[in-house]
Amino acid sequence: MSVLEVRDLVVEYSTVYGVLRAINHLSFEVGEAESLGVVGESGSGKSTLGLSVVRLLPPNARYAGGSIVLDGQEVTRMSNSEARRIRGTTAFMIFQDPLNSLNPVKKVSTQLLEAVEMRCKKLGETYDVEKATREVVEKIRDVRIPDPELILERYPHQLSGGQIQRVIIAMALLMRPKLLIADEPTSALDVTIQAQVLKLMNDLKKEYGMSIMLITHDISVAYNISDRIMVMYAGELVELGSADGVIRSPMHPYAKALIASIPRGVMRDAPLEPIRGSPPNMIHPPSGCRFHPRCPFVMDVCRREEPREVGQDGRVVRCFLYG
Amino acid sequence: MGVKEIVKKFLGYRGTIPTATVVKEGEEERRLSGYRFYLDYLIKDKVAAVALAIITLFTAWSVVEGTLQYVGYATRHRALGWALLPSNPIALNFAASLHPPSLSHFPVYIFGTNFSGESILSRLLYAAPKDALAAYLVVFSGIIIGMLVGTFAGYFGGWADEVLMRVTDAFLALPGLVLAIALSVLLGSGYNSVLISLILIWWPTYARFFRAQALSLKSRGFVEASKLSGQNSLMIILRHIFPNSVDPVIAYAALDFGNVILTYSTLAFLGIGIQPPYPEWGSMSSNGLPYFPQNWWWSIIPGLVIMTVVVCFTLIGDRMQDLIGGRLTY
Amino acid sequence: MQTSTLIYLVRRVINAVVTLLLLIFIIFVLVHTIAPTPVALARIYCGSPHCPPAELQVIIQQYGLSLPLPVQFAHYVVNIFHGNFGIDTLYKVPELQVIGQLLPITLELVITGLIFAVIIGLFTGSIAAANRNNPIDYSIKAVYLVTWSAPVFLVGFILQLFLAYELKLLPPSGLANPTLGNPPPVTGYPYLSAVPQPLQGWLSGLVRAITSPPLIDAAVEGDWRFFVSGVHHLVLPALAIAVTSFGVVTRLTRASMIDALDRDYVKLSFMKGLSKNRVVYGTAFRNAVIPIITLIALLFGFSTAGAVVIEDIFQYHGMGYFTVQAIYNLDYIAILAITIIVGISVIAANLVADLLYGWADPRVRLE
Repeated sequence: MSVLEVRDLVVEYSTVYGVLRAINHLSFEVGEAESLGVVGESGSGKSTLGLSVVRLLPPNARYAGGSIVLDGQEVTRMSNSEARRIRGTTAFMIFQDPLNSLNPVKKVSTQLLEAVEMRCKKLGETYDVEKATREVVEKIRDVRIPDPELILERYPHQLSGGQIQRVIIAMALLMRPKLLIADEPTSALDVTIQAQVLKLMNDLKKEYGMSIMLITHDISVAYNISDRIMVMYAGELVELGSADGVIRSPMHPYAKALIASIPRGVMRDAPLEPIRGSPPNMIHPPSGCRFHPRCPFVMDVCRREEPREVGQDGRVVRCFLYG
Repeated sequence: MGVKEIVKKFLGYRGTIPTATVVKEGEEERRLSGYRFYLDYLIKDKVAAVALAIITLFTAWSVVEGTLQYVGYATRHRALGWALLPSNPIALNFAASLHPPSLSHFPVYIFGTNFSGESILSRLLYAAPKDALAAYLVVFSGIIIGMLVGTFAGYFGGWADEVLMRVTDAFLALPGLVLAIALSVLLGSGYNSVLISLILIWWPTYARFFRAQALSLKSRGFVEASKLSGQNSLMIILRHIFPNSVDPVIAYAALDFGNVILTYSTLAFLGIGIQPPYPEWGSMSSNGLPYFPQNWWWSIIPGLVIMTVVVCFTLIGDRMQDLIGGRLTY
Repeated sequence: MQTSTLIYLVRRVINAVVTLLLLIFIIFVLVHTIAPTPVALARIYCGSPHCPPAELQVIIQQYGLSLPLPVQFAHYVVNIFHGNFGIDTLYKVPELQVIGQLLPITLELVITGLIFAVIIGLFTGSIAAANRNNPIDYSIKAVYLVTWSAPVFLVGFILQLFLAYELKLLPPSGLANPTLGNPPPVTGYPYLSAVPQPLQGWLSGLVRAITSPPLIDAAVEGDWRFFVSGVHHLVLPALAIAVTSFGVVTRLTRASMIDALDRDYVKLSFMKGLSKNRVVYGTAFRNAVIPIITLIALLFGFSTAGAVVIEDIFQYHGMGYFTVQAIYNLDYIAILAITIIVGISVIAANLVADLLYGWADPRVRLE
């Protein structure tokens, strides 16, 4: 059984310049204890996807179609109080900017204890401050922060970006969600810290067995900790498959281009190939396949018609090159 | 290159801050900027369009009436100043003393009369050019002085900048109205001394505004590039810093016209500025104070007129700031 | 106290003193530009353009107006720091004495008005932010755009007309019921004699400003009839001040609430499953209030200026009313004294706001 099942999802923003369709007929699922990497450039709708799963879309956005089934519950038609109940314990989302992720005027300990308190309330457990504090300290140790007692007594601005991201992961562990959504959790961090945080997430996934949906623009980050990878372009799925499959033999021209644009360590001779063109205008998207203006293999049919999803053995691709 | 291209290039080059890209299929990217950008948006918004219409009317009337008054004054035919008005604004007519607002003799009594029997409507219309002149003159002088002082301080930095910041701090420490009272009283009562003291207290805000702009612009790519290409500082300031700082100031200035009218009217209310028998919106309101509340219209109607004009300026400024703040863009 | 806090404190105080000195310098320069010669200056001090020449000479001697400018400036500053603002042209008593009696009345009015304004502003601003871009938000915006565009006197007139004359809820004007005698001001501060001489004047002034507003006097003396009447008379003008200034608070509260609501920590609070009210009024509001603190000093200046007009309309005999009298009588000395005292009050309010800011935001202290 899958933790998250998205069918035919459409999300639209209304702006002064018109309606912007950020997610266009998107379908996929995330299995139990599975990790899915969602890859795409900025504006591809990947962050919107994360927010729509936990019902935190900004006020000018709306669900325009499709369904999101999270742990057996339909999210798009939930009331606000029902949505509150799924947040945290069913799905927990962590955000990109570590400097803004913790409340600047409250101590770290207060914010973590709040999480335990909310969890206890939802699961009907009794909340006991001493027990909760012990649990918080333990989880802080779990995310490999030495001197938990010291960190807990600090304000967020006294911590480094890496430390804050770990504190937030600790918060996620305290909430014990079935699905953890991480929106660019490492983009704002130094490369070395990035690697540490990724390793931590990898370890925790194994230890706690939670499903992870990792949203990133960096396909190599996704490869590091994902079982499967989904590539998005202009609000649409373009390729979905096992991490190894997508990385080693990408099928869609956009996925190919993404992988070709990764600098590959010591191989200095390998040509770096940037993707030509610029991201599409989302209010008046290109006709047919949205990638066609930038596609090196463009055909006549690409300009006229939208490609359908084709695939087998869990590999999905949307391109006229493949049937 | 045709005129159209030149204009297009010019418009496209300016306005780095409030721009929006509107792309339609099969159409070239169109960039709106500067006043075009604002105007386009304001006309589309109904409330803002009404406000813009009222302001245009107020300004146009002020130009016409102000010209007549000036020509009348210069040629010693003062009656020219009230040629267009329903009645003579400074003629005593005690038979009509304290006439409440009514439709008889339309439109003379529509806003009632004061103790001397002068039509409030005529007096309001007669006083309008002075308010308009004060608003536009003070804000534009403030912008020009502030632009010169602020841009140079921000661009060159150093001790000049430090001194400027301290001086503006000191100016801004005092409520504008209090300093304006002190200055106008010291300068001696009259319209000119009010204008001078308003300009004196108005520039520091703009100086800080332009200084901040210059500070952020001077490290931007296109300024660095001009420096490297050997342009001198003056050219850089004229070509790049000034044009790029003006856009965000426009929105603030629109709101600020209203602020000037408020301060100017409050000074007039306190008896500073134009002296009797000539009418002034603020002083009309305070002259009615002893007759309040029995003859409420005398005090309240001029206040309402001031409020209407100021609300319109505020609305336009507010909408422009929404645009700049990006709350309406994406 | 940590050293960083101490450094922050000292820096703010120095900043305030420098600003004050510059303000005095600017006023000095402006006065001397307007009246470049000793005789012209003497006319200003005399308070009448038709002053006899003999009297002008006396004034020039008395105030040292023919001395070199730097010396004059030094005297000016020293005089101000001794609380010596000259003799009032009308009442023939030292300015500090007149203003010392009137300032507390105005402070009482302005501070009450400010409290009203901040309460209304925080309330409407956070409601608007929580209901962003829907009719509630737009109506709140419409209301504050109108109130902050309204001239102070119009607001005064309208409130007076409806609340006092039509509905007869509150008395229309005056400080208190005139049949009740003013309570005697609290006098005699024996502990002040321990303070060095030059500071004594200021300190006693400060203590008076804090203890001698008529309402507090009345409360201290237990004169409750006067107190009730005073509060009755205070509400309407204070409300008028609040109406003209709450819009600024609403706008900033709304903006900083929206800013806070867009922050990731608010999303994270939602993620924890906290209720909307707890997130909006607990997490976001707590952060959004911080910038409001700096606004209070600005509002204080704005309201003090507004009080001049309000006190005129409501016959509220404080410093504002005195200012209007000084304008009519061309009492330059009084106006200069008022300007500097208002400047000092606003700078002091700024200092208080800075210190409060440092206290409310753990991040500021360390910078």
